Amino acid sequence: MSQQKKLLIIDDDPDFVQGLKSILEAAKYNVEAAYNPKDGFQALQTKHYDLLLLDIMMGRGAEGIMLARKLNKDPKLREIPVLIITGIREQIAFLFPGQAVHPHLLPVDELVEKPVEPALLLEKVSTLLQAAETRKAQTK
Amino acid sequence: MVTKPSFSEEIANLLHATHANPVKTCIQCGMCSGSCPVARFMDYTPRRVIAMINAGLKDRVLAGNTFWYCASCYYCTVRCPRGIDIAELMYALKRYSIWKNQYKDGLVGPVFSETFVKTIVKSGRSYEPVLATSYLFTFGVQEFLQEAQTATSLMLKGRIPVFPPRIKRLENFRRMIKRIIPLGGD
Amino acid sequence: MKKYAYFPGCSLEKMALSYHNSTLETTRKLGVELKELEDWNCCGATAYFHVDELLAYTLCARNLAIAERENLDLVAPCSGCYKNMYFARAHLKSDLDLAEHINYALEEDNLKFTGSSAVRHLIEVFVNDVGLEEIKTKVSHPLNGLRVAPYYGCQILRPRKDHEDIEQPRFFEDLLSAIGAVPIEFPLKLRCCGGALIITSRPSALSMVRNLLQSAVDSGAAVIATACPLCQVNLECYQKQVNQEFGIELSIPVMYFTQLVGLAFGIPPKSLGIGSELVSTRPILSYAER
Repeated sequence: MSQQKKLLIIDDDPDFVQGLKSILEAAKYNVEAAYNPKDGFQALQTKHYDLLLLDIMMGRGAEGIMLARKLNKDPKLREIPVLIITGIREQIAFLFPGQAVHPHLLPVDELVEKPVEPALLLEKVSTLLQAAETRKAQTK
Repeated sequence: MVTKPSFSEEIANLLHATHANPVKTCIQCGMCSGSCPVARFMDYTPRRVIAMINAGLKDRVLAGNTFWYCASCYYCTVRCPRGIDIAELMYALKRYSIWKNQYKDGLVGPVFSETFVKTIVKSGRSYEPVLATSYLFTFGVQEFLQEAQTATSLMLKGRIPVFPPRIKRLENFRRMIKRIIPLGGD
Repeated sequence: MKKYAYFPGCSLEKMALSYHNSTLETTRKLGVELKELEDWNCCGATAYFHVDELLAYTLCARNLAIAERENLDLVAPCSGCYKNMYFARAHLKSDLDLAEHINYALEEDNLKFTGSSAVRHLIEVFVNDVGLEEIKTKVSHPLNGLRVAPYYGCQILRPRKDHEDIEQPRFFEDLLSAIGAVPIEFPLKLRCCGGALIITSRPSALSMVRNLLQSAVDSGAAVIATACPLCQVNLECYQKQVNQEFGIELSIPVMYFTQLVGLAFGIPPKSLGIGSELVSTRPILSYAER
């Protein structure tokens, strides 16, 4: 139970990743990062993570969505809770001005928008990890 | 995964899907700049921009007009001896600069592209008269009058569309777009 | 009878209506059926790629999927549309994750992309599918030594698709010879006309257009032939502005290859959209007289 939780961040913004990492590491999480969807997917396949923090706009476009859907198709990877942290509204602000990102359009567990308040972030992470633990305990 | 990526690595990540777009292997031969029809109007030529990327000069690259002046003619791409897809690099830089909202002042390109995309999302087709709003205000008086003259001549020849066209299955089209870009609550 | 799904593209509705009309007239004469793609949407031009490439591929894939539903190959008269859809198809075929994701979006319009419909440029249909021999048989009014500059432009050949010759192609020249015209050696025949730069960076584009016009005139051309509406508009409609910008006096008509082929086939000029130009093509018409 006191095993350190391992988190993976997939986000192309090095500054943002650094900020996120410092918040999470201060809360005693073990954090790794991948900076593009391909590397991210590879990391998920080769190592075990307890939670994924995923950006949307990377590479060619909204590749975060593509990756999230791909993970959903894999029986093992589907189990990992996914928290999307996105700046999409600002990144393509002109396209759908004033409209909210639609969580139910996404096959993920939770979504927060950048900039993210550290307290909120830690709360979401902790909630998702606990929910995953509960699920695992129930299936045993 | 331990050290923070450099700008050059950021660009490589941006191009992760362009299999082996080896921007880092540039030998600075200048073939791209020599072939580029717009190079003389750019703040930095394509060759120079690649050198700047590899040297980590992020803000200078983004402050230049180079990638927004690229015509996507692909001469650079087909001639690069290292096989770097330079035109694709320019597209990636354009996207990067729009997502970060970081680009040189006074450029028409970003506003034009945004207007264009908005028009298609709304109707499924492009519509020239609306696009005019994205650039006319940047023109000086003389340019404006010249453009008005050209537009009038074209109108008299029946070549300017009057009504904005729309596709029929617009609702499906919009839902289709939402699956790619999940914006827009219902 | 050869049949294709015809993708006119946004420009051909009004700005390049003459290209559309001359395309239909000449293909009909050659026994080629062009069925307009049902509910086609804009190909995204270059702008979509500046914002989100996945979205850009989705736009193209929708058109490709509709063509697939008809079991027809897609033919585009505009080099921009052609390049977008050709490479969208190529990328989706080679990247299965990408195709799966785009198909997820296409579900909303009850469409699916598999890549079974090939993408052709209109001029390919003339030169390769129909063939020059067949075209020659339909020429009733050979263009009697009309000196034509074959302007390929950029996106018709670039990026490279296969092992075709992208530095010294000759198919446009061959087509012009087949209709009795004299294709001149035009050194800038593969150089970009500026495309959308005419709007986003006018001075650059005007300079590029000036160089092309000057080269054509210096090479002794009486007319420039194009295979793309953006090229035609940039080269023709801005001649006045080029002259004003550089203090020169260039004037040369710019026509679509289908209009020249149509004249050689004896099709009445009006049906080919001739008369809607800003730079008069009247001097050209006399070459097609018997």
